[in-house]
Amino acid sequence: MYGMKIDNHPKLDRLLLPEYSNFHPLRKGFKFEGDSVDDMNRTWEIEREADQKVSSTVLEHHRRDYFVNMGPQHPSTHGVLRLLLHMDGETILEIDPVIGYAHRADEKMGENGNYMQFYPYPSRVDYLAGMIYNWGYVGTVERAIGIEITERAQYIRVIVSELQRLASHLMWYGAFLMDVGSFTPFLYCFQDREEILDMFEMCDGSRLTYNYFRFGGQERDLSPEMLDRARKFIPMMKSHLKDYEKLVQKNIIFRKRTEGVGVITKDMAIQYGVTGASLRASGFAYDVRKSEPYGIYNQFEWDVPTATTGDAYGRFAVRVQEMWQSLRILEQALTRIPEGPYNNPAAPKRFKPNPGEFYFCVESPRGEMGIYLISDGTENPYRIKMRTPCYSNLQVIKDVGRKNFLADVVCILGSLDIVVPDVDR
Amino acid sequence: MEMNVNPQQAAAHQKDGLMGVVFASLEKLLNIGRANSLWPLTFGLHCCAIEMMAASASRFDLDRFGAGVFRGSPRQADLMIVAGTVSRKMAPRIKMLYDQMPAPKYVIAMGGCAMWGGPYQYDGQYAIIEGVDRIVPADVHVPGCPPRPEGLIEGLLSSA
Amino acid sequence: MINIAIQILIWAVGIIAVVTVNALALVYLERKVSAHIQCRLGPMQVGFHGLLQTVADAVKLVSKEQIIPKNADKVLFILAPILAFFPVIVLFVVMPFAPNLICRDLNIGVLYVFSFASLEVIAIFMAGWSSNNKYSLLGAMRSVAQVVSYEVPLLLAVLAVVLVIGSLKMSEVVQYQHKIWMIFLQPAAFLIFMMGGLADTNRSPFDIPEAESELIAGFHTEYSGMRFALFFLSEYSNVFLVSCIATALFLGGWYGPFVNGIHWFVIKVYALVFVMMWVRWTLPRLRPDQLMNFCWKILTPIAILNLLVTGVVLKLVH
Repeated sequence: MYGMKIDNHPKLDRLLLPEYSNFHPLRKGFKFEGDSVDDMNRTWEIEREADQKVSSTVLEHHRRDYFVNMGPQHPSTHGVLRLLLHMDGETILEIDPVIGYAHRADEKMGENGNYMQFYPYPSRVDYLAGMIYNWGYVGTVERAIGIEITERAQYIRVIVSELQRLASHLMWYGAFLMDVGSFTPFLYCFQDREEILDMFEMCDGSRLTYNYFRFGGQERDLSPEMLDRARKFIPMMKSHLKDYEKLVQKNIIFRKRTEGVGVITKDMAIQYGVTGASLRASGFAYDVRKSEPYGIYNQFEWDVPTATTGDAYGRFAVRVQEMWQSLRILEQALTRIPEGPYNNPAAPKRFKPNPGEFYFCVESPRGEMGIYLISDGTENPYRIKMRTPCYSNLQVIKDVGRKNFLADVVCILGSLDIVVPDVDR
Repeated sequence: MEMNVNPQQAAAHQKDGLMGVVFASLEKLLNIGRANSLWPLTFGLHCCAIEMMAASASRFDLDRFGAGVFRGSPRQADLMIVAGTVSRKMAPRIKMLYDQMPAPKYVIAMGGCAMWGGPYQYDGQYAIIEGVDRIVPADVHVPGCPPRPEGLIEGLLSSA
Repeated sequence: MINIAIQILIWAVGIIAVVTVNALALVYLERKVSAHIQCRLGPMQVGFHGLLQTVADAVKLVSKEQIIPKNADKVLFILAPILAFFPVIVLFVVMPFAPNLICRDLNIGVLYVFSFASLEVIAIFMAGWSSNNKYSLLGAMRSVAQVVSYEVPLLLAVLAVVLVIGSLKMSEVVQYQHKIWMIFLQPAAFLIFMMGGLADTNRSPFDIPEAESELIAGFHTEYSGMRFALFFLSEYSNVFLVSCIATALFLGGWYGPFVNGIHWFVIKVYALVFVMMWVRWTLPRLRPDQLMNFCWKILTPIAILNLLVTGVVLKLVH
């Protein structure tokens, strides 16, 4: 993105942009000229020729191994991720994730507008955790301008974040089981997720891409009806979770498919910067909410669930436990939520933060999500860098997926819980 | 929302005489068949894909209209729902998928991004194609960011 | 002579009509069953409760463009779906629907059924090979491995039944069961047969050849329009056939309480079909290697043991 050259790099190519693009958009003073469609056609021709060269070398030498393109359009890559699989029969020799198909210049857009104008975009980066990403961005700017957040707003933030975490995990639960081959749980999970989306509609008006957080508070108050609904939702969710546990976790085929598959060791996880449930399943109890408490998470009573196996089943179990913990936090927050103002009327609309660098991170359902902000003292941010969890979590598949079967790769990818725009930004 | 008239249907209406009537009613039958079994391609780009899934899930249930059979292979799909921003890296693949689908085929541009770039359109945007119409012909546009599942169903019914 | 010719013609037309209509009904049933299992409604729009949904699908598929990929082996590509549909029709010839409703009551009926049923795999491999697509080829390879392996326990289970009955003629097989159904004499064989049947028809949890989340659509990834519809129809007809065979071999065919006849046969078959659908929408999928392990390390030994025990018991009884 900056056009840096690295000596002796084994495979130096474009990461997010089309392979043969000749510009570096994150450089200051970059201006895109020309027609994007013409540009697309030109690079596509070159890419195609390169692809054909690879496949023809395999054919010419009568090799046993072959390349399979999994994606960008594939039912189980959860969007537009592409995995270039080098295979021998059903066994994977090498996995090469190719990313960038969902790149839409979120970071550059942050630089182009002022601080207010970037409000809606974080929730579109990871559309399954919109509320939490909103908090990540708002939190960063709040740290930069040093603004007070009211008590009620703090509680509202925790409530919507934990609901969001539940919604995201439910979605993942269904999608993961669909990858393993059973379709029905997906629809049951969606049923529960719709409940949560209804609640979000009551507080924000949007079903998926929220814009609910403001610097210093919230856009509007939580209505009593929504709080009532959330209180009713908790026991329902608990009983459903128990049912799912009976139906899924005790199923022998599911256990056989996931146990011992895709083991991420503790060292490997730390080396790749894996965070979230995938790290906790490897036996490392790191959760931003505990280790670096933001908001009022330190006022609640909850545990960080871990597993020691590091396999797909471990990740599954950890996430299910996290749903229970989220319900626990929600229960406490819903009983203790105080009356009061939901936003800080002193919050400025336009402002110029002091020059400097600020970092704020939140625990998204997929891991540590941080925003690194450089301010140069003007109304627009100088640089917004998003540390998105899926990007680091995805890298690990190169090591983990090797020497596995094709069916396992799908299972591992599902258990890592990848959201592609979160990788590509 | 706009809608394209099926060229074959238009041709059938121009015929006259008995054979014309026969072909017209056959065409009508075929169109009823096509309208009621639009199998979409399993193909999500961004946020809208989640709403597309929600539309096929229990509460909204696209299957009621015979459109719930999501096919992974473009060869067996009739309808491409372009659900999300079309990035420049992805655009050739979308065109390829469209070419791989057998005729008659339909495209729904779902959401602002697929229609005209949506919130990601700005001066000097380098990463996306502003509107899927620039690479494949879209029959129905469903506005929203993302559109509600009801919106998608409405678009689907108007394309039928 | 003319009489026989007309008879054959009527049977042929009848069988093809029954196969097609039945497959359409099965697709509808599957969509409804899956929908109700998943708290949905399923097709509702076309006809009363969507009864005509599959007709609309069929009309659409007939009118679709048929693509033959550029790099495909054209002859095999066109031949494969026809060959896949052929055994289905042929197998209906010996199905004992009712005492007087068997097209040809061959005295090697059971053997005939299984020899033609294994033709299916050739069609699948042809489809996968000729498509010149890696996913198709992977699906075809998995399918061949799976069907050929599962034929072993399946046949061993049937062998035990035949040993008890002492005849390969379909009508005699059913008549033997007018007092006691074979399922009570051979429960293990029935279970093995049903599992093998699920695997043979590529149904979940053994649906690895068309594992949607891995191989997109398996061996028929490249097929469109009518050719795809033929694969689809033959898949559902196979489900029906497996249920038919199971009914004839284990569930006493047309015998039942009150009045014996074709209605009992149909009820039993559809009950079995329902069970197969139920299983499909409930269980996750196995991995290819686990599938093979399950076949060779668990099912086959049990089937052999069952056969041995049956033989010994029969020897002792007589």
